[in-house]
Amino acid sequence: MITGKPILNTSNLMLQVIYGLILGVALQFYFFGWGVIYQITLALITGIAAEIIFLKIRKKSIDAIKDNSAALTAILLAISIPSIAPWWIVVLGTSFAIIFGKQLYGGLGSNPLNPAMLGYAFLLISFPLEMTRWTSSFLSFGEGLNVIFSSINIDALSSATRLEEAKFALMEGEVSNPIQIDRTVWINLGFLFGGVYLFYKKVITWRIPLSFLAGIIVMSLLLMLIDSDHAMGPVFHLFHGATMLGAFFILTDPVSSSTTPRGRLIFGFLIGILVIIIRTYGSYPDGVAFAVLLLNIAVPLIDYYSKPKVFGR
Amino acid sequence: MSKHDFRGGVLIENPYPLNQLSVVEVPPPKKAIYLLKQREGASAKPKVKVGQKVKVGQVIAVSNNDYCVPMHSSISGVVSAIDDQPIAHSSGLKVPSISIESDGKDDWISLKGCGEEVDKCTPDEIIEKIRNAGIVGMGGAGFPAHVKIKGAQGAKTIIINATECDPATLCDDALMRKYPEEIIKGIEVLMYACQSQKAIIAVEEDKVDAIIKLNQTIKNKNICVEAVPIKYSTGAEKLLIKLLLDKVIPTGSFASSSGVLCQNIATVKAIYDAVVIGKPLVSRIVTVNGSALKNPSNYEVRIGSSFSDIVKKSKPSANPHEIRVGGMMMGVDVPDKNYSICKITSSIIVDEIKIKQKESACIRCSKCNEVCPINLLPQQLFWFCKSDNTKKASSYDLQDCIECGCCSYVCPSHIPLVEYFQYGKALVKKELREQELAAKSRERYEFKEFRLDRIKQERDKMMAEKKAALKAKMAKEKDNKAKIAEALKRVNDKKK
Amino acid sequence: MIEAIIVFSIFALLLGLVLGFSAKKFKVKGNPLVEQINSILPQTQCGQCTYAGCKPYAEAIAKGEAKINQCPPGGQEGVDALAELLNVDTLPLNEEDGETKPKHVVEIDEELCIGCTLCIQACPVDAILGASKVMTTVIASECTGCDLCIPVCPVDCIYLIDLKPSMDEYVPNMEKVTNV
Repeated sequence: MITGKPILNTSNLMLQVIYGLILGVALQFYFFGWGVIYQITLALITGIAAEIIFLKIRKKSIDAIKDNSAALTAILLAISIPSIAPWWIVVLGTSFAIIFGKQLYGGLGSNPLNPAMLGYAFLLISFPLEMTRWTSSFLSFGEGLNVIFSSINIDALSSATRLEEAKFALMEGEVSNPIQIDRTVWINLGFLFGGVYLFYKKVITWRIPLSFLAGIIVMSLLLMLIDSDHAMGPVFHLFHGATMLGAFFILTDPVSSSTTPRGRLIFGFLIGILVIIIRTYGSYPDGVAFAVLLLNIAVPLIDYYSKPKVFGR
Repeated sequence: MSKHDFRGGVLIENPYPLNQLSVVEVPPPKKAIYLLKQREGASAKPKVKVGQKVKVGQVIAVSNNDYCVPMHSSISGVVSAIDDQPIAHSSGLKVPSISIESDGKDDWISLKGCGEEVDKCTPDEIIEKIRNAGIVGMGGAGFPAHVKIKGAQGAKTIIINATECDPATLCDDALMRKYPEEIIKGIEVLMYACQSQKAIIAVEEDKVDAIIKLNQTIKNKNICVEAVPIKYSTGAEKLLIKLLLDKVIPTGSFASSSGVLCQNIATVKAIYDAVVIGKPLVSRIVTVNGSALKNPSNYEVRIGSSFSDIVKKSKPSANPHEIRVGGMMMGVDVPDKNYSICKITSSIIVDEIKIKQKESACIRCSKCNEVCPINLLPQQLFWFCKSDNTKKASSYDLQDCIECGCCSYVCPSHIPLVEYFQYGKALVKKELREQELAAKSRERYEFKEFRLDRIKQERDKMMAEKKAALKAKMAKEKDNKAKIAEALKRVNDKKK
Repeated sequence: MIEAIIVFSIFALLLGLVLGFSAKKFKVKGNPLVEQINSILPQTQCGQCTYAGCKPYAEAIAKGEAKINQCPPGGQEGVDALAELLNVDTLPLNEEDGETKPKHVVEIDEELCIGCTLCIQACPVDAILGASKVMTTVIASECTGCDLCIPVCPVDCIYLIDLKPSMDEYVPNMEKVTNV
């Protein structure tokens, strides 16, 4: 036992991450409307319920719910999926994330994969249509409810993301202007700001976010040089898709990321490279989830080969 | 200020500042208990009998082992018991001890020192005096001072460690303010004994009074005071050497092999007493503080005094307490106050009982690695120690852990990491011990087999030889008989 | 054509030399199975496994004549370690061979001892010191606690002594440390 000044504890740490998300979520609400709030609410209810049920089944104390990790996973998943996705998407995804992504491995601290991204990848593969439709306008309170809970035709509301648009434009041979400031850029800036907050609060360190962003910049520059037909340039990639959300909130999940100082640099950098490759050549619009999951699998190897030099050895 | 640094460490404010800075001198206690084993290793054997009268400074226990120094009585009186008494160690075990009841006289043996002119004695004589005075490292490790000095002959630099090492312990600060002359003279003795040219006193930069006092006292240009940052775990020997000299002492080797001798400042004061005055180690300064005390202080007490007597002087509250000995970071929790002051007891912390924070799952946040001065990966070692995987733990350099407690301090999941590592280290040690024992019995078993076999062979050989000899004899006898028979026959034939 | 044959022959010869050389130079000293098994056994030499000592038992296991669960001093951990080494399913410790006792040594009551030397002959590790008709004693640091000397003593003067816990050998109890 060590006495002295109280410090951050694990549940507080998770709570700080949730605080860091607020600005980005507020911007999402501003652009997409009430759907965002419904998704988060649904995810929170599902996530916490799934966690409690599985803690009971595993005969563990349900005090563990207080660590806020289930809530964080739920929120991260909810803000990653389209705000107009039907309700069962988020319920299914969150349950999958909590049960198969975390509890079945032994709960918090034992999961090799990022639970939120596992849920996201599961949804993206199973329901590609629902997962790639984004609303093009602000949805009011009632509209949001309608879209999420009744199966109305949402084609009128939906649009492609900027990433898809840009990819499509390049394929058609049109010259797109990548530095056009639209809502995705704003949301990314929101998450960047949240990330700076986490850094200031010492919840995360610079290693993973910066090496990830460096990976993105290096790889997109490289692709611009060798394959300018498909590439879109670093500035575009930095502020589109889930880049900033990924950099500060998803990659930095301590449980499933690398744990050594050098390992974290490698981890972030390789994800950055993979994201650009998937975005440029893959069939899905964004690649953060798949890149994170792939590197999660490589973490034991990275950790093993990046042991720091011990003092005196 | 030092230009160099070591990685990691934590800034910890002293949670229990003292009201008064002066040292309270405690009169000799009515009864003292001397533990004959104060650290791991050999224990001293009693040299007195129950009922025997002893004076202050008289040797009461000795050992042939060079790593075990003699023990002296700190009060005059009668030996009342020789039995096992509890020691402030995490095992909660009892160790052999000698109890002495005071006669209230404080009658000393006659003291014979080298006097102020130390060079009258040879370095070897000084080292012998230090051993005979029973001096051990008083910072907490308790390593015999004379062994260290002997090993550091010709050391280029002597570092005097006055960094306290623990945020809540202030006994070295008090010592420096009370005995600056003795300390400086002690350093000169040490420099003479080691034939070294330079000494650095490392003091934390917030101990301004102590630094001024020491600087005023120093007349020798080869001794200097160096203010070091108030970063916890600076007091660890190898880290302090890195900080001051930018030298890394490799794992498994001692500072002396790099030409450095590091001694605690209280040890230096004890060396002064032993060499100049001839006084053995019978008292020390102990910090007594904690949230349950009205009047926390530094006390100069006789070795062997009981905890409860000293704690009483600090006016503890009437509630039940939590007691920790040896510092808030590296100390051990003990169940009650029925212990006695050892040579290595630097502090006693008496706290109101707090609700222990519940341990939650490790989320591998790596904050422990960020503060680890040794650059270990506590988040990995934790898993290996928890699952008794000593092989893996050793391959992640568990043995290099200095148990400073920085990792436990910052862990957001309140995992007592250091305790896991102590467990892991004990397991490694146990396995080594068992392996050694098994190897020995195996060797002895094989030797017995070999011995029995050899005896059997020797016996067989002997039997065979005997048989052969018998046969030869029989043959000879037969031969003789035949000859006799032949002779007889010849005689008979002649007769005919 | 000829050139190709010559080149490849030389090439093959060189490679063969390299291979042959490295096979000799970097030869892994084969740790025979018996040695590996024996290093897991606790070397108590008590014979509870029905073999004369640890090595004979190790040899029997290696030949497949003995089961891996016949060593009480090694405990269940020892059985598990053997199972892992031999890549077989682990077995529960065979109770017929005896139960796992805590680590101990024996001591001879020197006043009762008649100096018959029977225990000296029984001791598998020569840890008993003495001679005919003189007092006999146990070298505690060499005693493995096999208890083989106890049944042979005609005057029953050999006792079990539990090893005292010592500060140097202390292993913390993790159940007390963890607070989950």
